[in-house]
Amino acid sequence: MAEQRLAMLIDTKRCIGCNSCAVACKIENNLPNNIWWNRVLAVGGDHLDSPEGEYPNLKMHNITLACQHCENPACVKVCPVGATYKDPETGVVRQDYDKCIGCRMCMAACPYTGVRSFNWEEPQYHLDFAVGDRDVAAHQKHVVEKCTFCWHRLAKGLAPACIEVCSARARYFGDLNDPSSEVSQLIREREYKQLLPERGTNPSVYYLV
Amino acid sequence: MTENVSTAGAANAAQAPAEARGPRSRWGGRGLNVAIIVAAVVTVAGLVLWGVQLSGGMVQTGMRNLDSWGLYITMFMFLVGLSAGGLIISSVPKAFGMRGFGGISKVAVWTSICCTVLAIGFVVVDLGQPARLWELFAYSNLGSPLMWDILVLGTYLILSCVYLWAQLRAERGAMSHTALRVISVVALVCAVLVHSVTAWIFGLQQSHELWHTALLGPWFVSSALVCGTALVMVIVVALRKAGYMEVEQENLVKLAKMLGAFVCVDLYFFGCDLLTSAFLGGSGAEVVQMLVFGQLAPFFWIEIVGCAVCAVICFAPKLRTTPLLVVASILAIAGIFCKRVQLLVGGFQIPNLDLPGAVTSMTVTNWEAGMAGAYQGLVYWPTPLEFGVALGVVGLGALLLCLGLKFLPLKPAEGNE
Repeated sequence: MAEQRLAMLIDTKRCIGCNSCAVACKIENNLPNNIWWNRVLAVGGDHLDSPEGEYPNLKMHNITLACQHCENPACVKVCPVGATYKDPETGVVRQDYDKCIGCRMCMAACPYTGVRSFNWEEPQYHLDFAVGDRDVAAHQKHVVEKCTFCWHRLAKGLAPACIEVCSARARYFGDLNDPSSEVSQLIREREYKQLLPERGTNPSVYYLV
Repeated sequence: MTENVSTAGAANAAQAPAEARGPRSRWGGRGLNVAIIVAAVVTVAGLVLWGVQLSGGMVQTGMRNLDSWGLYITMFMFLVGLSAGGLIISSVPKAFGMRGFGGISKVAVWTSICCTVLAIGFVVVDLGQPARLWELFAYSNLGSPLMWDILVLGTYLILSCVYLWAQLRAERGAMSHTALRVISVVALVCAVLVHSVTAWIFGLQQSHELWHTALLGPWFVSSALVCGTALVMVIVVALRKAGYMEVEQENLVKLAKMLGAFVCVDLYFFGCDLLTSAFLGGSGAEVVQMLVFGQLAPFFWIEIVGCAVCAVICFAPKLRTTPLLVVASILAIAGIFCKRVQLLVGGFQIPNLDLPGAVTSMTVTNWEAGMAGAYQGLVYWPTPLEFGVALGVVGLGALLLCLGLKFLPLKPAEGNE
């Protein structure tokens, strides 16, 4: 089978900033308290649903932000032990908790502010039982973690949890190396942007505008 | 009095000159023993605090996801600089056959060895999983600048020890001066390399505009020369005062002239970098604005004014008195330390994506007031625990320095210049 380049498309015209994707990610991956791999950022201001502009010319605009699974990932280059690496089959940027020495070089190297998170304490949970998929790797103290494109779901042929739950159907997932895939078609037809293209990382997360 | 001299030597020598005027005790006597005990106690306290940090979690530090490095990495950069500088000061005269620094040479190398150990110590306390350090050798990713640094720093430490040993052998006539000269050249190359590689940990990252400049390598070398020379000067003056070694005032003046030249080069590099960033306007100008007038301004101005005053003292013959030279050295060391803080905190001070979202206690140091509040002042400030652990690591360096002064034959040999 040819190499894949798994990618995520987010239609910013459809996104209503409901935070379902962020919550689905948190539950699916049993994320510890205060940790969010996927965040919904309001372009307009400090709070949820902050509008952009001056009344009466207001616009609501959100960017959902998680690991960009770059084709040329800065984090992979700098990791001294290869704990973060790009999967050659799928192009997904992965993180091996058992290998990570907690030096946080990847966090310093990643240009996408805050998509990598470090477990600064022993992971704590509001619930006294684990939620989400049982195949998710256990969270560890003092290691770096981030969005995995729901690796455990990909292994079962499923799309990431955030794709499934998006109530506005603003999220798409597929293989960019397959010209007939939905994502490839959308990229051909629609206008899009990538975050911080000038950094040369070539993210696999595209925002349709 | 020896206590003050020795501890201050590693702890950036801030108090050495002021307190070195106490009653004279016999060299290597009670004072040094007390210093060794104090340093050992501080080291043990630091180890305990490190244990607290590891067991209770690094949540007790000021570092968070958006400012993921802090005091430890700042100190790492700073100490690599001090160590490289010390070795360069020691090896340059030998490598190029300059006369007059023979007496300083061994003390400079020993200081440099202590600083290298300290630098490695600061990386270790910064790690979340220090028990996995062995992986660095088992799964080395040779493409990572951090890996380069570990290799070069390790080589450098071993080489410094070899260099010191070679000097001692040469003194006893057991090694030819040509051989010593060869070793000093190798040590010199390694010292330059070790600082360049440390710069590349930052300079090769396009993620932070402040860091991403080709100038960073040479600039780190010049800063290393500044603070290394300054540290050697402070220690030599203190040791002379303590009766450990004789140093001609003429040699001190030579050292001062070198310090003045290095400071000027360092300031020149800073000027080049600021101009290149600011000239086009846009995001580069934003970085300069933040450094010069923004949150990092106090550090900027201490560095600029400190280094400028240092240069004036070093170049004006009338001002080159011993106390003023010590002041100049301390200003230079403080200035370079401020530069390290600027580089590290400044790198995190401007986020690439500053859109506000779910801000939690893990996102950023001062998270309570949201993203805007967190970036209002300095984005990072260390917690007392971090200061404690850092002090402990510095204590370890002081301990090594004192033990070296007590047990190693670092005094200038008879007949040595």
